Amino acid sequence: MSSGNGATPDLTGPPLSQRRLCFVLGKGGVGKSTVAAAMGLAAARAGRRSLVIEVGGQDRLSRLFRGAHVGHEEATELAPGLFGISVDVEQAIEEYLTGQLRLRPLVELLTRSRAFHTFAEAAPGLPELVTVGKVWTYAVALHEDRRPVWDALVVDCPATGHGIALLETAGNVEAIAGGGPIRDQAARIHDVVVHPAATGVAIVARPEELAVSEAIEATAALRERGMPVAAAVLNGMRAERFRDDEAPALAAVAAAADGPSSRAAEAALRRLDDQRSDQAYRRRLAEGTRLPVLELPQLVRRRFDLDAVRVLAASLTDAVSPNGRP
Amino acid sequence: MVVCCGAGGVGKTTVSAGVGLGLARGGARVVVVTIDPAKRLATALGMEGLADEARPVPGSGGPGGGELWALQLDPKATFDRLVDREAPTPEARERILENRIYRHLSGAVAAQDYMAIERLHELVDEGRWDVIVLDTPPSQNALDFLDSPARITRFIEGRSLRLLLRPPVPGAGFGRRVIAVGSSTVFGLLERLTGAQLLRDLSDFLGAFDGMYDGFAARAKAINALLRSDEAGFVVVAAPDTDAVGQAVALGRRLAHDGYPLSGLVLNRVHLLPPGGLARPEELAPALATAGAARPDSLAGRAAATLEEEQLLGLRDLDAREALSGALDGAPITEVPALEREPVELEVLAEIAAALGAPAPARPAAAGP
Repeated sequence: MSSGNGATPDLTGPPLSQRRLCFVLGKGGVGKSTVAAAMGLAAARAGRRSLVIEVGGQDRLSRLFRGAHVGHEEATELAPGLFGISVDVEQAIEEYLTGQLRLRPLVELLTRSRAFHTFAEAAPGLPELVTVGKVWTYAVALHEDRRPVWDALVVDCPATGHGIALLETAGNVEAIAGGGPIRDQAARIHDVVVHPAATGVAIVARPEELAVSEAIEATAALRERGMPVAAAVLNGMRAERFRDDEAPALAAVAAAADGPSSRAAEAALRRLDDQRSDQAYRRRLAEGTRLPVLELPQLVRRRFDLDAVRVLAASLTDAVSPNGRP
Repeated sequence: MVVCCGAGGVGKTTVSAGVGLGLARGGARVVVVTIDPAKRLATALGMEGLADEARPVPGSGGPGGGELWALQLDPKATFDRLVDREAPTPEARERILENRIYRHLSGAVAAQDYMAIERLHELVDEGRWDVIVLDTPPSQNALDFLDSPARITRFIEGRSLRLLLRPPVPGAGFGRRVIAVGSSTVFGLLERLTGAQLLRDLSDFLGAFDGMYDGFAARAKAINALLRSDEAGFVVVAAPDTDAVGQAVALGRRLAHDGYPLSGLVLNRVHLLPPGGLARPEELAPALATAGAARPDSLAGRAAATLEEEQLLGLRDLDAREALSGALDGAPITEVPALEREPVELEVLAEIAAALGAPAPARPAAAGP
């Protein structure tokens, strides 16, 4: 695991790869879904039965794992040992009610009433609560012999603000609901969400100004709320391909007559600049979050597909276990 | 009024600021509204601590009194002002502001969408802006905010919920009694779930909004009419990857279907295809050796591969443009090239404004197709 140059990670609890439940959070467009899929795949390859949970009907898993249909009802196997499921809010509300009221006719009475729909639509935090509640049911699911059904769970959260709302909702409901089964349920969910050993939040960023600033702000906001932030993931890092002492020769060739060779040398010089700036962002992320930073390489391809997820999963495995141990 | 929408992470905030800056430098008085909790616009505009009230952006002026102002939406403050204005009596106002449900609802992420629309309405009423540029909230569904006035109005109206929260009326007619019995059952079920306290708070909350419903409904209707008029223009922002392009296409279609005026598409962060072909390492290596490279063969291979990557990105972005224009023909597409520097200062934003064809119409409608 690589930590920041000079920045000591401020971490309580085990490293991310040892926590069972991982929430993947970050600014829109940083590649959260891909990172979540890669984390799930890395865990599956290490022999852990893994579930990637999609929230908010993004349908990205189905697109990444072409041919797979990730539904709401049952987990779909995406790769050996790797499963995916998508949480549907409406359905989660019904399931939740069934669990609470136990009697199917009562649930139907409630869900058919317009009053209930008005309530459910606008009740502060209800969609978030049932969503995180659904995640919780997967996290605590046990086989008959008391073994957990899932060894690793990865939640692909919505973008930063909504993602934080998702994580804090159970705690909020616990605070405002006063009493009753909803409060008790919320308290049980919240205990799992903030569990410092079982749960970890991973903040994803790209080596870019706005994404890194947002990751640093989000980490502070999550810590303030007592959430177990466990790692920062820097996605799209341009690895070191050129050395500084190679710049003079490249510059000389770049300055020569225009042609493919001089353009290649120019491209190399741009890449050298990009490498440096990516490293600077890595340091800023490490110092600003005081988290271990897992690096994922930039993959340049015309279409982003399953093969790309495999490459990222392999680099995650390398990042968390330099000696090759899972 | 210019509404910038698109999936998360495509650079909506930056494009909004670029549009605003371009218009201001062309002589318009412009305000850019962002709702982003991460305060990205503040960074992009080179100023920290944007507030709920519009502030001028230093150095953004243009000839003829053009100015760019920026504000960051504070949903809670907007909601409080709304209650202030609409509450029929000071007592009603206090009851709402003190209510626990209100306090949570007004600060919730879910309230952002609606408060963005409400703030838009306030700015229109102020009458001091030539153009209002709205950077839409980062929601799951980029168009959630368009439906939000209807949603919140339904909730506050809450007719069926009120009926249910009212105790059964003794001596009411048969029909009425049946409803009361039915709803007291539903009430009982809800109470079993939420505890009595939550329902009492909810009942108070709805009670406190009594008499305010008409005002809410009227504003929701007015803003909706404005967004569909030719005073408004929607700009769909996309980034050149498959996911973002797919979402932009869906968004463009939905806007057209629902009768919102689509001004155009912006494809942001486009990598231009480098001219000429690939480099040949065997030609590059001797040149590098002459220039004094220590390991010319290895360096030539790596440099050639880097140029090839740039071409791959250029091709990917051409694919994106094709997919976009093929799916939404008729809508003009503006490309903003990927910049060397990130747009975190005004002068970089100006490059974006220029790419967007900055010559500023004084009226927002002129930005239309």
